[in-house]
Amino acid sequence: MPLPPTWQQFLDEAGGLSRFTGRFFSQGFKPRYEITELLRQCYIIGYKSLPLVGLTGFIMGLVLTMQLRPSLISYGAESQLPAMVGIAVVREIGPVITALIFAGKIGSSIGAELGSMKVTEQIDAMEVSGTNPFKYLVVTRVMAATLMLPVLVILSDAISLYGSYLGINIKGVISMDLYFKQVFDALSFDDFVPAFIKTYFFGFAVGMVGCFKGFNSSKGTEGVGRSANSAVVVSSVLIFILDLLAVQITDILGLN
Amino acid sequence: MAKRAINNVKLGFFVLAGLLIMIFSLYMIGKDTNMFGSNYTLKVRFENVHGLTSGNNVRYSGIQVGTVKRVKILSDTLIEVSMLIDTKMKQYIHKNDIVSMSTDGLMGNRILNITPAKDGSPLAENGDLLITKKSVSTDEMLETLDKTNKNIRDISQELKLTVLKINNSSALWKLLTEETLPDNLRASSFSIRKAAANADGMVQDLHTIINDLRAGKGSLGSILTDTAIAYNLNEAVLSIQQVGNHADELVRELDDLTKGLKSDVNSGKGPAHAILKDSTLVIKLNNSLSNIEKGTEAFNQNMEALKHNFLLRGYFKRLEKRKK
Amino acid sequence: MEQVLTIKQESKVLEVTENVLVIKSLYKSFGENHVLADFNLELRKGENVAVLGKSGSGKSVLIKCIIGLLVPDTGSINVLGRNIEELSIHEMDELRTKIGFLFQSNALYDSMTVRENLEFPLRRHWIKLSAGERDKKVMEVLTNVGLAHTVDMMPVELSGGMRKRIALARTLILDPEIILYDEPTTGLDPITGKGISTLIKEMGEKYNTSALIISHDMSCIRATADRIVMLIDGRCYAGGTYEELRENKDPKVKQFFE
Ligand SMILES: Nc1ncnc2c1ncn2[C@@H]1O[C@H](COP(=O)(O)OP(=O)(O)OP(=O)(O)O)[C@@H](O)[C@H]1O
Ligand SMILES: [Mg+2]
Repeated sequence: MPLPPTWQQFLDEAGGLSRFTGRFFSQGFKPRYEITELLRQCYIIGYKSLPLVGLTGFIMGLVLTMQLRPSLISYGAESQLPAMVGIAVVREIGPVITALIFAGKIGSSIGAELGSMKVTEQIDAMEVSGTNPFKYLVVTRVMAATLMLPVLVILSDAISLYGSYLGINIKGVISMDLYFKQVFDALSFDDFVPAFIKTYFFGFAVGMVGCFKGFNSSKGTEGVGRSANSAVVVSSVLIFILDLLAVQITDILGLN
Repeated sequence: MAKRAINNVKLGFFVLAGLLIMIFSLYMIGKDTNMFGSNYTLKVRFENVHGLTSGNNVRYSGIQVGTVKRVKILSDTLIEVSMLIDTKMKQYIHKNDIVSMSTDGLMGNRILNITPAKDGSPLAENGDLLITKKSVSTDEMLETLDKTNKNIRDISQELKLTVLKINNSSALWKLLTEETLPDNLRASSFSIRKAAANADGMVQDLHTIINDLRAGKGSLGSILTDTAIAYNLNEAVLSIQQVGNHADELVRELDDLTKGLKSDVNSGKGPAHAILKDSTLVIKLNNSLSNIEKGTEAFNQNMEALKHNFLLRGYFKRLEKRKK
Repeated sequence: MEQVLTIKQESKVLEVTENVLVIKSLYKSFGENHVLADFNLELRKGENVAVLGKSGSGKSVLIKCIIGLLVPDTGSINVLGRNIEELSIHEMDELRTKIGFLFQSNALYDSMTVRENLEFPLRRHWIKLSAGERDKKVMEVLTNVGLAHTVDMMPVELSGGMRKRIALARTLILDPEIILYDEPTTGLDPITGKGISTLIKEMGEKYNTSALIISHDMSCIRATADRIVMLIDGRCYAGGTYEELRENKDPKVKQFFE
């Protein structure tokens, strides 16, 4: 049964990505461990993304609050604003928006970096000098993305909530104490833990797709641009798919 | 190399900040969930738990004291709910304290409320079964509102009638020119009149509320799930009913009294005030009067509480404006 | 480093005419494009062999097969007495430290400075080296290619010829036993090209290394190669010294020497 070319391409991609992921698990946890490079990648991927993620998080919290405010006032439930923003940010908006920003920044940069290394034979050069480029380039980046995104999400959540606090204080008055008390009263472990766990998967997906696209970049500078671009597109879509899976799993586990 | 060391410091700072915020949040969330700290179990049985699940909050006189641990079906008409309660509450919760179920806030998380019984029963031990009180659901509320609405109208009419009777009965007034009874009567007739006016207003207000509800106007439907309001409304309705009952009694007794007086006078059985000193009759009368006073007071208080409820504040304001 | 040294000493003890690289009936094709077909080659210790061939004849493919970047379809490649097909990933990495490889495209790490580019192999394989020793080694190879002043520059700041020389320095930094040069002098002015040719020659004499030199630059080949192999139609078409081949009457060989 012949498949339409787009389908074949899609399946080819999916298969390639799966094999690449399998290779990550088969090689990633064996020595030698590239600790120095891992730390360097953590610094680049995590620390250097903080300003962007923090800024978007702050604006998101502020805007969300200002958008929700009128409708909550019409219900006479203005006092529920911290609780509502808190739950929205911690459960969904924080992880997903941060992951999308992360995919845009890190996914594309990994895709472009590895892509250009591939087409200029730098990856070959690494292999030739007796360094496993998969471990040195891919494993470190995927690990760094997996470990750093959750940290970024937590910081972004905190900044978002602070933005929301300022947002409430633009038109109303609430003390910092009361605000955070209301936020934390509204939150439970069931809100926090699944949202936190899924960020690891988001980070893993972004790192994995970025590396896959870069590592398998086709020759020429055009190939580099394409890998950067499709790294962002594919990882963004994957984030939403994982989010859908996460909500269903938490639902099945009765954690909602 | 030095640059790399500084980068590692920054990275460490970054990761530690994230970790600290996470630990802090977990602690803040955990503070209310009994995951940390010691606690003990109390049980309660319901016919219907209305979607109560493990993790829902348990409050004692409105204070967060624990969470629901497990909901277990005992039989087709009985569900047992285990609650994890903070050990610190062991010295406050008694065996006869009443557990009721209600909804927390607008969005409707189920909560359990433990209300102190204040009857001096022994303190509840780990695993004890507490007593339940039926909760008020929105449907029941609306039904009662509709029924009591009619009752209130009847009651207020009767109250009016009583006041009229008392005011117009000149023979009675003459008989009661001295002692404390007349003063009481005068005062309570004033209260009754006030109560009647309130009840009238209440009837109108409730009418509008119910009509609005039927028309599906505004957010009242969701507001009625708010337990505080439901409670206030119900209490108000109950006090009105009480006032009505007491007033009925009073009317009957006053009737008896006037009948008795008439027959006594007719049969020439001595002066009227002597009869009035008949202790049982006086006590009865006095009791009914103070009952009426209490009832109207409670009713007024409930009405005030209702008006001050923030969700209905706007509604009552609009109502006042319309009246003007 | 000690390990490398002991191996070196061992190999010195061995016979001078020992083959460090033996390629037997190598086949490699990309789809319908049969690039290498029955290619044979032997490289003796301390010998410099030049591979000459038209553009697209498969010279780069050949040395990529030797280093293991490409997997041949059939045929055997024996490097330093070991068949590379049978090596594990780890053993292959170990073997690769003894082979220097100069990429035609240089393949310098863009994100690293010249110093980091050169330190990269050192850090990974000569782990016991102190920072001072590492620095000394870096400066030594950089001085050899005449670019000591560029040590803290980024590759993008360098000219094409300078990059070629940095890549050459990186190739030589681990003191390899076999060096595979893919066009070491292309893009260089004749003077610098001559300098590089001399360097390649010196390397071979000083450390008794063997080299496979791919080049179109006849002056370079003349200066460095002990022997020339003509790669035509995917196989070893002709071989011999520069002088021998110049006298060859075969038109396919002749066109290279006109
Ligand atoms: N990865 C690859 N995939 C498909 N074909 C390839 C690949 N690498 C090389 N080829 C083909 O192999 C043939 C030989 O290429 P190679 O790079 O070895 O040429 P070359 O002899 O080095 O030429 P030049 O002197 O221009 O560098 C070319 O026809 C090229 O198209
Ligand atoms: Mg080539």
